[in-house]
Amino acid sequence: MKRRLAAAALAAALALSACTNNPYPDADDARAIFYSAFDDPPKTLDPQVAYSVNDHLVIGDVYDTLLEYHYLKRPYTLMPGLLEEIPHPEPLPDGRIAYTLRLREGARFHADPAFAHFTPGADDRPVRAEDIAFAFQRIGDPAVGSPVFETLVKIDGLREFAERLEARRKQDPEFGKKRIDEQYREVGGIAGVEVLSERELRLVLDEPYPQIRFWLAMPFTTPVPWEAVAYYDGLEGRDHFAEHAVGTGPFRIARYDKTSLIALERAPNWYGLRHPDAPGAVYPSEGEPGDEAAGYLGERAGKPLPFLDRVEFRREKETIPYFNKFLQGYYDISSIPQESFDKFVQEGTLSPEMQARGMKLAKSVGPTVYYIGFNMDDPTVGAPAGERGRKLRQAMSLVTDAEEYLRVFANSRGIPAQSPIPPGIFGYDPEYKNPFRTVDPERAAQLLVEAGYPGGIDPETGRPLRLTFDTPSTDTRSLLTFQFLVDAWRRLGLDVEVAATSYNQFQDKVRRGAFQIFQFGWVADYPDPENFLFLLWSGMARSKNGGPNTANFQNAEYDALFDRMKVREDDEERLELVREMRELLERERPWIELFHPEGYALYHGWVAPPKPAGMAFAVDKYRRVEPDARAELREAWNRPIRWPAYALAAATVLVVLPGIATWRRERR
Amino acid sequence: MLAYLVRRIAWGFATVLGVLLFLFLLFFMLATPDDIARRAVGEKAPQTVLDQWKANHGYDKPRMWNPESPADTMLFDHFRRMLTFDFGRSDADDTPISQRLRDGSGPSLAFTVPLFVLGLALGVGLSLFVAFFRDTYIDRATTVIAVLMMSVSTLLYIIGVQFLLGKLLRWFPISGFDPSPEVILRFLALPVIVGLLAGVGSDLRFYRTVFIEETSRDYVRTARAKGCGEGRIMTHHVLRNSLIPILTGVVMAIPFLFTGSLLLESFFGIPGLGAMTVDAINANDFSTLRVMVYIGSLLFIVGQIATDFSYTLADPRVRLG
Repeated sequence: MKRRLAAAALAAALALSACTNNPYPDADDARAIFYSAFDDPPKTLDPQVAYSVNDHLVIGDVYDTLLEYHYLKRPYTLMPGLLEEIPHPEPLPDGRIAYTLRLREGARFHADPAFAHFTPGADDRPVRAEDIAFAFQRIGDPAVGSPVFETLVKIDGLREFAERLEARRKQDPEFGKKRIDEQYREVGGIAGVEVLSERELRLVLDEPYPQIRFWLAMPFTTPVPWEAVAYYDGLEGRDHFAEHAVGTGPFRIARYDKTSLIALERAPNWYGLRHPDAPGAVYPSEGEPGDEAAGYLGERAGKPLPFLDRVEFRREKETIPYFNKFLQGYYDISSIPQESFDKFVQEGTLSPEMQARGMKLAKSVGPTVYYIGFNMDDPTVGAPAGERGRKLRQAMSLVTDAEEYLRVFANSRGIPAQSPIPPGIFGYDPEYKNPFRTVDPERAAQLLVEAGYPGGIDPETGRPLRLTFDTPSTDTRSLLTFQFLVDAWRRLGLDVEVAATSYNQFQDKVRRGAFQIFQFGWVADYPDPENFLFLLWSGMARSKNGGPNTANFQNAEYDALFDRMKVREDDEERLELVREMRELLERERPWIELFHPEGYALYHGWVAPPKPAGMAFAVDKYRRVEPDARAELREAWNRPIRWPAYALAAATVLVVLPGIATWRRERR
Repeated sequence: MLAYLVRRIAWGFATVLGVLLFLFLLFFMLATPDDIARRAVGEKAPQTVLDQWKANHGYDKPRMWNPESPADTMLFDHFRRMLTFDFGRSDADDTPISQRLRDGSGPSLAFTVPLFVLGLALGVGLSLFVAFFRDTYIDRATTVIAVLMMSVSTLLYIIGVQFLLGKLLRWFPISGFDPSPEVILRFLALPVIVGLLAGVGSDLRFYRTVFIEETSRDYVRTARAKGCGEGRIMTHHVLRNSLIPILTGVVMAIPFLFTGSLLLESFFGIPGLGAMTVDAINANDFSTLRVMVYIGSLLFIVGQIATDFSYTLADPRVRLG
């Protein structure tokens, strides 16, 4: 009995000594692994389809893009990626525009069984111009469902290609079963995407569209091997292509388990290893002013990429366990949970306690704008109300306090927006102050008088003017934010009601034009003012064309300015055009610009300062960690405290022993 | 007995059909195919992409009634797929659902099986111990503690254990999962401890009552009179005769070991079927959700029939018919 007890105690002590809260295998301590997390897994790894941040988390590392954004320079600057140089527009005599895309020599796809399936013995293969053409054909393929098809129909013959393909598939069911590249070839490809040679491709656009270069910096246009699309069809136990990436990037997928771990490892055949001077293969040596001081240049400058051996994204659905593991040193980077924000950040800087642990804070304003929009088709708040409507919108804009909104709901993370254009985008002017975005209740009341609603009273009914704020969010938190906005208008005397419905009912109201006021946000697709100002262009009006101009703002003067602005290169005249459009919006007020959100990220001292990337997709190749320093601190921060276990064991014995004694006594 | 089995299965089948119909109606009362599609393709995707997605996933058909071709409706598809076990692909990300079931049952079983075994052993063992010492300080103290433990929400145990054992004492990782044998035990410790803490209180109260009722019976007195030891009485006579109420709870729980736990898996980041269900709810993923509900109802019926049969094994007097 005593011996058995002693053995049990020994086993318990051993188990306790093996206790550790380290969630990783011990051997990984010394490796240059970057530990990060995801909440919702990528929906797809298909670069022609993926359009969300979580998709691009993986795709950005695994697929190189034709062009890339400079890691440090702001405003965002393009540089060559898989292409040798940034292509320039070549006007054709008939008004069309051509671009010649020249692939870098020696770029290869990652090794994959798909290649051996079609070419016995092949592990991988070089990237060819026809792979870029294949990507454009996939954008045109209705069965792929690429979200950018409508945007890129400016490519000569893209729509016709889509129509031919669809018609052919409907006509002949056998055709649809053929290998995908053969289908594309048989319907004749896209007229405006012409393969000139192994490494050269000509892209022809029907009209000038300088923004095309930004689309070349997105994964939509990245080359894709037809072998992978044909092989990964989801049949006979093979993955779907949407689940199996065969890219060209600095990392390739080592494990893809969307429920718990996505691991990427250095790709041994990345082009950057053969072209150490290529702009996308080396850490930049120059950036914007202040980068040196912020540690973005430092010893990484000029060194070959990537620095990491491996990137691990682990699934963390709950913020608090994630943040706690970050504090223990098991994640390298983290956002700050809303509920503990004040504990960690005081007046915009990190708390002394966190600083003492070597932690640092990175802040950046994203290329995003949140705004309140008016339905300009509406007879009361919109264009049909003429001057009355304009003054009403101006008055409502004058009492909407974005700064207070940010303070109450976002720990002041963000800057009040003065115009649709966020920082980092050409045309953003930090000096500009919108006269209708400074809180002035007196002037607002005066404007209401001029609009014929003195004190908010509608003279027709004798009661406060009744307006509706339509929203697709019904959660308590969102409703609080809407209530905040509505209260300010109520103080003016207006009677604004929040109509919260499901997303679909809201969409339905928008389709029917049965809405007055709404709140939306827009995240830049690319760093160009066109990508924000088109949200108010009549060609994108929701009621007319189903576009994202939900405010249905249609103004001939604005449209004329927009048409001139969108095709210009970034020069003084373009800036002037943007200014004129800004002034027009300032007066017309189809939007009340709210704010540009600011991201706060915490990172540990062993992580080289990460510059918030904003637009860029490939960010992990610029990251660096010091695994030795990390292992040392993790060890120091996570020594298990064992005495409570011994105390608990002793307490149990003390409780149970008298019982056993009684039992023995009774037995005797 | 065979007739009984056939009758139970027939009733079970009818129940499952009802569950499937009810699920379909409830789900589409709250969400439309457009909602599902919008979640899957993202906010910025144009209507054409949305329509294509609906066509690819069969959500463009009439919902319940199609006068031209009655079999070409979403409701018909729903029943056909479920009854033939052709689960198809997830609406959220197009992964085959049968594969996700296979992948998810491993992690679920990895913590539900130890939790079940340890929970049963701890519950029965402690209750025997307490029943043995009934009306002493051990019994009274344990009863008070058990009631206290029953009254605390599982969520609080999760947060408390993560804070105490993960963050403060640093014995185990706060959350996470890794199936490699080198580290798996670390990850299982906390969810199993939480499961034990959350379950042991009510188990203890229930089993203790059962055992105490049993110890007051005549055969126990007879056994004592014949000189049988107290320990032997508890483990050989009382435990055996208390099996029927114990089996009622226990056999029912066995099939559900596969489906894991919604709460524990979500909070501890275990990629099991419970977490998958929660994800499906959050993502409006009808095709996954209906499979989980369907499997849940099948397991429930299997569990009930198995419980009935286990009675005949535990007590020869029980006859099914």
